[in-house]
Amino acid sequence: MIKQLNIVIKDTLRANFKSRGYWILVLSPLIFVAVIGGVAFGVTQLQGNTTPTVAVIGQTSERATFVQSAKNLDMKISKITNEKQADKALKSENLDGVLTLKSDSATLTTQPKSEQVPKDDIATILNQLSQAKKATQYGLTAAQTADFMKPVNFKTVVKQANQSESGANTEGANYAIAVAIGVITMFVVMWYTSMIANAIANEKSSRIMEILLAATSARIQYFGKLIGVFLLALTHMLIYLIAGFATVIFLKDNVFVKMITSNLNGVTTGFMLYALAFILIAVALYLVLTAMIASLINDNAQVQQAVQPISFLAMIGYMFSYFMTFMPNNIAIRALSYVPFVSQSMMPVRLVTHVEGWPTALISLGISFISLILLAWFGQGIYAKNVLSYSDEPIMKQITGKLLKK
Amino acid sequence: MIQLTDISKKFGTHLAVADMNMTLTPGKVMGLIGQNGAGKTTTFRMILNFIQPSSGRILWDNHPITQLDKQRIGFLPEERGLYQKRTVEEQVLYFAELHGMSRADAKSSLIQWMKRLDVVGKPTDKVQTLSKGNAQKVQMIASLIFEPDFIILDEPFSGLDPVNTSLMMSEIIRMRDNGAMIIFSSHDMSNVTKISDDLTMLKNGKTVLQGPVQNIREQFGRTRVYVESPTTATELAAIEGVATVTKQGTGFDLILSDEAAGRRVFDLVTRNGYIPAFSQQPPTLDDIFRQEVAIHD
Repeated sequence: MIKQLNIVIKDTLRANFKSRGYWILVLSPLIFVAVIGGVAFGVTQLQGNTTPTVAVIGQTSERATFVQSAKNLDMKISKITNEKQADKALKSENLDGVLTLKSDSATLTTQPKSEQVPKDDIATILNQLSQAKKATQYGLTAAQTADFMKPVNFKTVVKQANQSESGANTEGANYAIAVAIGVITMFVVMWYTSMIANAIANEKSSRIMEILLAATSARIQYFGKLIGVFLLALTHMLIYLIAGFATVIFLKDNVFVKMITSNLNGVTTGFMLYALAFILIAVALYLVLTAMIASLINDNAQVQQAVQPISFLAMIGYMFSYFMTFMPNNIAIRALSYVPFVSQSMMPVRLVTHVEGWPTALISLGISFISLILLAWFGQGIYAKNVLSYSDEPIMKQITGKLLKK
Repeated sequence: MIQLTDISKKFGTHLAVADMNMTLTPGKVMGLIGQNGAGKTTTFRMILNFIQPSSGRILWDNHPITQLDKQRIGFLPEERGLYQKRTVEEQVLYFAELHGMSRADAKSSLIQWMKRLDVVGKPTDKVQTLSKGNAQKVQMIASLIFEPDFIILDEPFSGLDPVNTSLMMSEIIRMRDNGAMIIFSSHDMSNVTKISDDLTMLKNGKTVLQGPVQNIREQFGRTRVYVESPTTATELAAIEGVATVTKQGTGFDLILSDEAAGRRVFDLVTRNGYIPAFSQQPPTLDDIFRQEVAIHD
């Protein structure tokens, strides 16, 4: 009955693609991000030039160091070298700051309307100048001074039994992706579990289900709806992916876009595929669970009752991913990293923080996948049994009652 | 041919349908009557495989009804349901496709059906904008547009006005004439009499009467007389074999305890020649239904 399955899938897609609700769901986050971006851009434009202009009053050699470093500091050095002129310019708000250098001290004076002056960077340069000056006083050679000023080469490496990886950029980017999995899964689950529950509740409460099941079987309806809604979620994510790529291509010079792309450069392809597979399996798992519970719904008013525990479950997984950062070796956290419905928020983080290796990560993914197959198979029986029976009891009571009966 | 053999259905200790036997043949209409809870809808649900019979067999041309067979069944449920936010066309085409009809065929057929059933509205109208009567017609179209071989109608006339009831009846008769097997339930005995070839009467899940409608009526004898004459009620009641006399408009309704009493009534009321009305009939289905319900209570 593949033909009928295709018809149900197509109908689910067609009905949603034609509905305003679906497009509001897909486009509203994009519009929200675009509006926020637009506002931020507008504010930046209205703010005009935010680079501070600072007058450096001191010895010529020290002043020259600041002039050379000005570009890196995102700061303009004023041509004023006279202290009185500088004070006058500061008072009349023509300067954002006056840096006065003495033999053993330095003072930065600003005015209330000054742009942000990079104080920490200035302090770093002053320290370097002071160290160089002291090195000369102690009679060090130029080579000794250069060696003395050389920063320590510091990097982090996590050693594992079979592998070792290093690179702050890769680690940071993968960690961001791992956390994003939790967030993405939670949102997609909330949106689409509600959609499938509403669809089933509508067909059941309006008795359309009886007409549908007169022509097809409960199994076709169940799998057709599941696959249809899953494809809608996939389309949704694909649209965001395309929008993301388009933003990167068309706004490649934007500061925020540059920051994000520089971070994403570190993401490994293997991890990206792993993350994607985990999101898709987790979303499918949640849809199956929702379809099973939604088959107990009598009318649309019960949809929230049915969806709420599922949303909580999705949130629990997301919250655990935070606890895990602080106590990765906690036995409960380790165990939950293999438990379907929450593992997608935990195992990817454990993988990128090198608490677990690839074999363990793949086992967790495999457990989720097998659980999906088993739950989907088991779910069709539950769906067929309940989708045409009507009970006045609350959903949770029905579920507990049925479980106790078993 | 659909055959139900010794079908029973138990829900816990409650026997909803007991040892039902029924045969449906192409080009014939079976009326299923009974009070609420008599087992009519349960019978339909068993035929449609929504629930499994506790015992017995349901066969279509001597084999159990398969998923493929179900595509040839048109079903109109008792509680009507349509996707309120979809257009008439969208949902009729979806149901038609599920029954194996192409979208193109269904699209052109829909226009014909809407004309025949006199649906006020366009295929592109959303169902929520239609009146209740028109929505019911659309429901009927959605169930039958693919010209099913086997039609199950659960209370098809409930909530319809006489004009729309008559339109629905013409469609049922048209499909019967095209060779469809039809079974329907109804509380309205006059509709059952008009379009049923055969009848099954259920009482608490048990079959209390079954057979061709006219045969069932005749087996109760021609014990109903309607007469219009100057004769008085007292004179009529005094005739041997007359059980009751009731004033009915300008005439009288008589119930006879003996069919032969009809001739005596006729002789008396025509003793002075012409009278405008005399009719001796078997009891109506309504009468039989009430009588059977009372007997089996």
